[in-house]
Amino acid sequence: MSHLEKYFDFFIAKPYNWENHADAELSVLSTEKNMERRDFIRNSLLSFSLLPGTNLIGEILQQSEKRVAASGGKRRRLRELGIRIGSLEPGPYNAITDVEGIRVGQTTIIKGQGRGAVRTGVTVILPHADNIYEENLFASCFIQNGWGEMTGIAALENTGLLKTPVFLSGTYNVGIVLSAATKYLCEMNPEMGDKAEMAHPVVAECFDDFLSDTKSRQITEADVVKAIESARSGAVAEGAVGGGTGMTSFGFKGGIGTSSRRTKNHNTVGVLVMANTAGRNQLRIDGVPVGKEIVGFGEKAGKTKSIILLAATDAPLLPFQLRKIGKRVAMGLAQTGAISSTGSGDIILAFSTANRIPRARQTDFHSLKGVNDLSITPLYEATVEATQEAILNALCMAETTVGRDGNTSYGLPVDQVEEIMKKHGRIGAKIHG
Amino acid sequence: MDNAITDVKGVKVAHLTIEKDLPSPAGRAAAIRTGLTAVIPYPMEKALRLFCANLCLKGNAEMTGYEVLDDFCYLNSPVVITNSFNVGQAYDAVLSYGFAQNRDEVWPPVIIGLNDSYLNEMTKFSFDEKEILQALFNAKDGKVEQGSVGVGVGLRAFDWKGGIGTSSRRLLIGGQELTCGVLAASNHGNSDFAEGSLSLVMATDVPLFPHQIRQVLRAVLAGLGPAQVKTNPAESVSGIFFSTANAMSMATERPFVFDYLMIDDSWLERISAACSEAVLESIRNSLTKATAVSGRQGRTVKPMPEDVQSKVLRI
Repeated sequence: MSHLEKYFDFFIAKPYNWENHADAELSVLSTEKNMERRDFIRNSLLSFSLLPGTNLIGEILQQSEKRVAASGGKRRRLRELGIRIGSLEPGPYNAITDVEGIRVGQTTIIKGQGRGAVRTGVTVILPHADNIYEENLFASCFIQNGWGEMTGIAALENTGLLKTPVFLSGTYNVGIVLSAATKYLCEMNPEMGDKAEMAHPVVAECFDDFLSDTKSRQITEADVVKAIESARSGAVAEGAVGGGTGMTSFGFKGGIGTSSRRTKNHNTVGVLVMANTAGRNQLRIDGVPVGKEIVGFGEKAGKTKSIILLAATDAPLLPFQLRKIGKRVAMGLAQTGAISSTGSGDIILAFSTANRIPRARQTDFHSLKGVNDLSITPLYEATVEATQEAILNALCMAETTVGRDGNTSYGLPVDQVEEIMKKHGRIGAKIHG
Repeated sequence: MDNAITDVKGVKVAHLTIEKDLPSPAGRAAAIRTGLTAVIPYPMEKALRLFCANLCLKGNAEMTGYEVLDDFCYLNSPVVITNSFNVGQAYDAVLSYGFAQNRDEVWPPVIIGLNDSYLNEMTKFSFDEKEILQALFNAKDGKVEQGSVGVGVGLRAFDWKGGIGTSSRRLLIGGQELTCGVLAASNHGNSDFAEGSLSLVMATDVPLFPHQIRQVLRAVLAGLGPAQVKTNPAESVSGIFFSTANAMSMATERPFVFDYLMIDDSWLERISAACSEAVLESIRNSLTKATAVSGRQGRTVKPMPEDVQSKVLRI
């Protein structure tokens, strides 16, 4: 057990007898190269020792327990805190699966403690209820900031078509996931790549190395297949799950989040994100600078990098219109306070389930539907709202996670968030949904 | 048919040629050798818009309406090619052209600017709105005048006389006869002039969606060899490709949903080949149909001799 893990254990998880360990641990920590943790303990000691008559150690332990209680306590979705983003209503599950036919499957991989600990996984989105390779959907990509990977989009942007499920995972898992996805598609569609055209799976990534020994690439092709086979409609697990297991965002634990909105025309827009971006001071909830007002929980939770955002709708949008939906997704991202820093791969994929385009050579002409550009605005509104809430749901639902080398990413302290939002007059009657 | 862009049903072409010598108090008269060539994509009194995509390959060229073409992927205006300095006047004239038909939806005007300063005194801003409007209203289908006509009068390509050229190709798809038509303005490949450009207006009645049009445009560009576009960073290819097949009402927010027809992707290869052929033949026509023009500073540009044609144009 590394000293960092010991440190975590006595300091955060199960309080050690501080007197017996303090000196030894502090000396170890003072030589520790991990500045974040060293800074943390130094700052904590300084701040508590300034208070007159303070029982230093007792205070630290008490604070630690409070933090664990607040962050590791029951997670609640944003709406369960009574916070409403925008004015449109969500669908029944307030999830991307509210767009009919969409299924989500996830495999979560948690292995080991301390050095070499793995906190990763894969999330798969099946875009409709049937074989997506046989019946493609219109899609488009919007690259808000390109420092990331989403495979398959060269072809997707050319053809305007989504031909495979969409996979979300850690950066170094992309090759394995892509390979597994390709094999799976080949098995499902024996003619693919031979008598029939190829399809290039869409696999997107965020860098989860703060919590996971991501270089060890401990995901297997079986994990990917398991995720596909577990895919279902209805409620979607959020937070530290699937591809989001090791992600951190806004200085807190990030991961998978989802939300949806319905328009007056009875169209649904669903958004699912894998959030691993932005700093704590940037966090805004419904315009309130919550990140600046949260007390405790350490300042850093790993350098944050990238967010992948998927938007789906049952409105019949054409590829160039979906690109514009993608731009509105970026606006929703901006409303959470994120700034798309240079190292953040903020990549957005939007698709519509309304027109099913049989794979090439089945017919000469396709009869299709397309939304009038002049009446598309409500879908933009739905997109911006759902994006914002999906990102915040990822934060609200993600539990405190201890990962590689004892690195700790705290879950967003939802109780504190509730208090802050109340202080700003943003929480009225509680709404559960 | 006429082997012209007008073979695509509904498409009309207008030329306004301006050749005059303005007296100048300080010696030599200012030679005006310019004009305007417009492609009217459909009967403009109908408030419709068409799927399109635009291209601006490298270079320093002007194309107005770029943002709507790029983001909304529809064309709602004549496509006008003129000299770079007259773009503003042409833009304004196209607005007047729309308002004259009780339409304020002829927006944004799509104006492509070319530098014809070798033969033309560009700085004289020699346009008269009435003349432009007259030309636009007199746009014709059928045979298209080529060579040193319209904006082509002042153009120069490969150091010889450039100008306007057009061509078309037919395709049989699912029992339907469909057409791809091209109009080219050649002003590129000159050895002593960097800011040349080739402008292409392409039309079809094949039901292409914007993302498909982009694919075809890329294929067409790949087919343009060094003989067609010199590899000078300031040389540009700019153009627009529109499909008349899916015409959407521009007037109201209703209906919420339009019905469309879309060609299967498997045809894009054939369509690209047809467009490539028509583009190359349009460029060739722009050179072979051009006649000698004398203009600014006593310069004369002669048509490309036949032996040079076979060398430059590998068509």
